[in-house]
Amino acid sequence: MFNRTDDKITSSQAAVFLTNTLLGAGILSLPRNVTQAMETPDAWLTILLGGAAMLGIVLLMVKLCLHFPGQTVFQYAGKIIGKIPGKLVGMLLILYFIVVAGFEIRTLAEVTTFFLLEGTPSEAIVLPFIWAGVYLVLGGINSIARVFQIVLPISILVLLVSFGVSLRLFDINHLRPVLGSGFLPILRGMKTAILIYAGCEVILTLTAFLQEPKQAVKAMLGGIAIPIFLYLLTVVFVIGCLSVDSVVTSTWPTIDLVRSFEITGFFIERLEFPFMVIWLMQMFCNFSSFFFQASLGISQIFNVRLKPVIFLLAPAIFIATMLPRSLQDVFTLGDSIGYIGLGMFFLLPLLLTLIWMIRKKGTKGHA
Amino acid sequence: MLKSLRKLTGILCVLLLLSGCWSSTEIEDLALYLGLSLDAGKPAPKEKDLERKGARYPKQDKLLVTIQVVPAVGVASNEDKSLEKSSPFFNISGSGDSILQIFRQFSIRLDRPIIGHHLKVIVISADLLKKQSAEQLTDFLLRDNDIRPSCIVLVSEGEAMDVLVGTPNKEIPAVSLIGMSRNRSRTSKVMRPVTLARLDAMIHSRKSFVLQRLITAGKETLFSGAEIIKGSIGQSIGSLGEDDTMCLTWLRGEGDRGVIKVNDSKGEPLVFEMKSLKSKITPHVEGEEISFDVKITTTGRIIETWSKGDTSTTQEYADEASKIFEEELIRMMTQLIHKLQDTYAADVAGFGDQLAIKYPSVWKKVKDDWDERFSQSKISISYKLSITDFGSFSEKK
Repeated sequence: MFNRTDDKITSSQAAVFLTNTLLGAGILSLPRNVTQAMETPDAWLTILLGGAAMLGIVLLMVKLCLHFPGQTVFQYAGKIIGKIPGKLVGMLLILYFIVVAGFEIRTLAEVTTFFLLEGTPSEAIVLPFIWAGVYLVLGGINSIARVFQIVLPISILVLLVSFGVSLRLFDINHLRPVLGSGFLPILRGMKTAILIYAGCEVILTLTAFLQEPKQAVKAMLGGIAIPIFLYLLTVVFVIGCLSVDSVVTSTWPTIDLVRSFEITGFFIERLEFPFMVIWLMQMFCNFSSFFFQASLGISQIFNVRLKPVIFLLAPAIFIATMLPRSLQDVFTLGDSIGYIGLGMFFLLPLLLTLIWMIRKKGTKGHA
Repeated sequence: MLKSLRKLTGILCVLLLLSGCWSSTEIEDLALYLGLSLDAGKPAPKEKDLERKGARYPKQDKLLVTIQVVPAVGVASNEDKSLEKSSPFFNISGSGDSILQIFRQFSIRLDRPIIGHHLKVIVISADLLKKQSAEQLTDFLLRDNDIRPSCIVLVSEGEAMDVLVGTPNKEIPAVSLIGMSRNRSRTSKVMRPVTLARLDAMIHSRKSFVLQRLITAGKETLFSGAEIIKGSIGQSIGSLGEDDTMCLTWLRGEGDRGVIKVNDSKGEPLVFEMKSLKSKITPHVEGEEISFDVKITTTGRIIETWSKGDTSTTQEYADEASKIFEEELIRMMTQLIHKLQDTYAADVAGFGDQLAIKYPSVWKKVKDDWDERFSQSKISISYKLSITDFGSFSEKK
């Protein structure tokens, strides 16, 4: 079995790993998705509430993992619900990771062809990213975490700078009235506000790689707090600058925010280009994370070496990337990923925890 | 042997990546357009001749599109010093039923493909806005991936293509329009620019709004007044004059620049230069009755007087003069409110927004026929105008 004992990550690396897994293409269309469901400017409240719910789910996942130190969900699922069902759950998770990885790369390609490289075939954009991904994932979790550590500060900086200069458009009246239509719209938006965290399941494998499992709770809560904060900031700025009416009609509202002004005299007049180039790296990180999880899962479930799995998985991800025929398909896929993810959030940690507790009590009674 | 062969293959593969950008185009080979104007449809002057000779495709001439392309000449001919310096831009017009279709027609008339990455100004003629809705006219502009949502939208009183004509050897008209829109720091007759992004929001909200209006005479263009777009139909219903526009900017709290000129007791001009202005709209709801209180507080200085004897700089004089200015301000504002409520029945000053913030449930009920409700609601304005100084001039009497 592939299990290198030296391939561990520190707590801060784990936090960055989780952040980079979540923070991807979602941020580009998040304000529209939430606002379309709500039709009020209260999206920021929804994000806060959704974030709070996620903290609970993360806590549950980490607690479950801590019962099986050094083991990933692919390994311990079998111990909880039996060998065959455990493998089935693992395979479901792998399939999910592959689809999400493909989805991330596809969104990356869609945004790039639309705004940056019109005329370049998507294959020409997708393939180099997949190859670079293969190279990165071959290095194991430690190398991935190091790349993430380099990329994340840059992308956060660029995001904050973009929001900072868009302050000129900010109008607090766009965010008012607060709770003008009551509490119901907030609940309608909750679905989107939780779906945006799809991919959070990586915690189930990530915890196994921690150098100090004692700090797992702290690391993972930190790792989810960063995206919650950045999502909140995005929604506040995009809606505050563009108003609800503009956000609901825009395909990529966050990019449109940066496109709605020019900074004359500044050495970069148009911030969408640095913003998008940096965000491509962020989406690449996203993809690498899922790619790694999927290949790790296959190698652990079927007891095969990791390296060939990575190479064999690359074409599978390419197919998953090219499956949606249009942008509408991509968005539909994004929605379904969210729903499946929601199932995974509950099915995996909640069910596994419940069954584990029942079984533990059962064995104690017999003894 | 095998090892070096492997290395060689690797290096050759890397070579593939060095081929450069996939779909790049040299900037010299592109026709960048900075300005775009939309007019009511009729064949463009040149087009008539072309069409007579058989250059036709099926269309109904719903609109006339003009673009302003820079630079007019390629880099190569610039080196030819013997040639007289020609205009830095050229305009090309085409008529048809769809903006993109007309754009593609330009591709069979020009040697370079046109590209909208640097579009800065869109001018729409008021006539066209009376026939078609702003939503129909800007649909393509908002969808297109070249055109940035940051470009500003203006309305021209006459033909929009005339705005882009300009004078030879002067600034490119599209660029000077952008420059003029920055003069908000001098006068509030220049409104806060409406970008495509803002226009999109305003159209979608179905509220009435105003767009800066341009008037062109000869070859000169100026910012003069505003065109009112009625939210329910999305079409122009009329316009506001320069003073009304200035008052509207003040009322919306989007500017505090400008002068108020009155004639003093001797009939000589007396001028107030505004330094600051605050406007606060407070909605009130009592049963079915909706009313608004507006508080306008402004300070400024006496900057010019033609009166010979009356040049005192005492507080009494300041109070006396501020009364006269206040009366003038009241007259201007009353005229604006009268136009908005009675002449046009269009709330373009943001009264509805304040109502929506303070009474969201009431707003929900009235928002569909808000312009009607607005025209019937009571608006009372209280003014506070104070003169804080007299410029660098002092005289005690």
